Amino acid sequence: MISDKNANTMKWLLRREFWEHKGAMFWAPLIVGALLVVLMGCTVTYGIMAHGIPAHVTINGQELDHARLDAVLPAETKMVAANIATGMYLGASAPLFAILTGVVFFYCLGALYDERRDRSILFWKSLPVSDPMTVLSKAITAMVVAPAITIVLAVAASLVLLFIACAALSAQGLNLFSALLSSSDLYLAPLRLVALLPVYVVWAVPTVGWLLLVSSWAKSKPILWAVGVPVVALVAIKWINAALENFSGQTLLLAHYASDVVARILGGIVPGIWFTFPGVTAAIHLNGHGIDMSNVVPQSYMSLAGADAWIGVAMGAAMLYAAVRMRRWRDEG
Amino acid sequence: MSAVIEARGLSKRYGKRTAVDGIGFTIPAGRIVGLIGPNGSGKTTTLKAALGLIPFEGQLSVLGHDPRTERDALMQDVCFIADVAILPRWLRAGDAIDFVAGVHPRFNRDKAERYIAHTQLKPSMKVKEMSKGMIVQLHLALVMAIDAKLLVLDEPTLGLDIIYRKQFYQNLLEDYFDEHKTIVITTHQVEEVEHILTDLMFIRDGRIVLAASMEEIGERYVEVMVPQEKLSAANALQPIDRRTVFGKAVMLFDAGPGGASRQQLAALGETRNPSVADLFVATMKGTYA
Repeated sequence: MISDKNANTMKWLLRREFWEHKGAMFWAPLIVGALLVVLMGCTVTYGIMAHGIPAHVTINGQELDHARLDAVLPAETKMVAANIATGMYLGASAPLFAILTGVVFFYCLGALYDERRDRSILFWKSLPVSDPMTVLSKAITAMVVAPAITIVLAVAASLVLLFIACAALSAQGLNLFSALLSSSDLYLAPLRLVALLPVYVVWAVPTVGWLLLVSSWAKSKPILWAVGVPVVALVAIKWINAALENFSGQTLLLAHYASDVVARILGGIVPGIWFTFPGVTAAIHLNGHGIDMSNVVPQSYMSLAGADAWIGVAMGAAMLYAAVRMRRWRDEG
Repeated sequence: MSAVIEARGLSKRYGKRTAVDGIGFTIPAGRIVGLIGPNGSGKTTTLKAALGLIPFEGQLSVLGHDPRTERDALMQDVCFIADVAILPRWLRAGDAIDFVAGVHPRFNRDKAERYIAHTQLKPSMKVKEMSKGMIVQLHLALVMAIDAKLLVLDEPTLGLDIIYRKQFYQNLLEDYFDEHKTIVITTHQVEEVEHILTDLMFIRDGRIVLAASMEEIGERYVEVMVPQEKLSAANALQPIDRRTVFGKAVMLFDAGPGGASRQQLAALGETRNPSVADLFVATMKGTYA
């Protein structure tokens, strides 16, 4: 009964966040995705139409030339090309994930600050919606809703691009469609992206927690506090550490962790950032010029095996709790 | 029925400044109470404490809940308008109704829509496209469709023009109020609310200087038009205020226990009930000095 009511309230709170941020979370990636399709689609189509099938293609380190395309068994060649295309096609939507990082960053900074600035917090607080629910809805919007929307748009844009390219190729006599549609990677790639979402959430928690905390605390200029405090603290620690090393030859244990902590507090919302964090075991296997996509998911989940990820989650949860307390008692005059 | 709001020794300090200084009061159910005082007298602070928006010292019980620890339970039965024009600019009127209907178990959607239908508001309109009066109409439609036991209005008509102000209070009285509900209004525009109130509380420098029902006030305070020849006799009865209207002295007397009797006052000249505004001015004398 109570959980039903909470689930219902959460549904409306998430909808509320979407109404407010539809521009940044939906229209911006949609427009950029559409531009990507148009620009890259035109370039690819023009390239194929104007020059025919390239004489030399280097994909993933395998050089294919025109003569070989004809010489080798057509089906086999097509399978290779299709596999490469389907494995890599989501790469075309990388700009959308860059945009996502910015959207989530500014969304979190404003989430609990804007409502205080325009005093609309007094309206939201006049309704039977608790502070934990409200803050949780904002964290979920940042870590799940916004990335999920981007994933859907990215997959859609990438598929459209892939089919534009194939259509252009088939107009030149090289029909990849059947090979493409029978390639399991075509269908697995979007699922892999969705499978990465839980990993993203785990690594994003400390950053989202920190940004929401600053957002609920700062009287003005939340961005300066959010970026300034960790950076100034880092510089101070580094400086003290260097001084200590000079005079006593000892170093602070803290200094070893300071950069990592700051990177995780500010960078956790960047998709894939976990591969750059120390302590994350093996890096992605580079396969020629591309990334072996099938390996990304298991590698990402392996990053959760260490304690680092979960220490971050605990800290992020503590900061979210602090943000809730802050919102509960903040006096908006 | 137990009290809707009960305060004992309620205090709130901001640094060294004491905004509310150990006040105590009881508001029973089914009343419309005006919490009236000059700017900075502690009205808003008192209400914020009652709504669980700020920490405070002392005892305060609202519908049997402590607003500090039981705010979530409290908000099931309480609604408030803290200020006009605090609806977020991006909100659409239709979405606002959907949202409140979604999260508030006591929201009556039909009532809100009926109310909106009498205005120029359209569901697709965003708050930023609305005039200040329209924003208040929307906010009022939302709040009046909530069947709350306690409605708190803090300066609800600040900055609105006279047409909206009149309409606001008229709607409140006709469409919303009944004997199961309690309304607390703070304002410093006394003359607007005096005819709808059942109870008055004057607050000054964080203290309650007068708390009484309108009937008690009508019985207790008397205004007398005193002709020139009876001035010294009138002054002997210690009026709490005196002013001059068209060359005639108008004196305000406290005819309560220990004060002048009604017969004495009637002998001085024409008597009538003072307006709340005049009473307010007399009570608050020196506040702005």
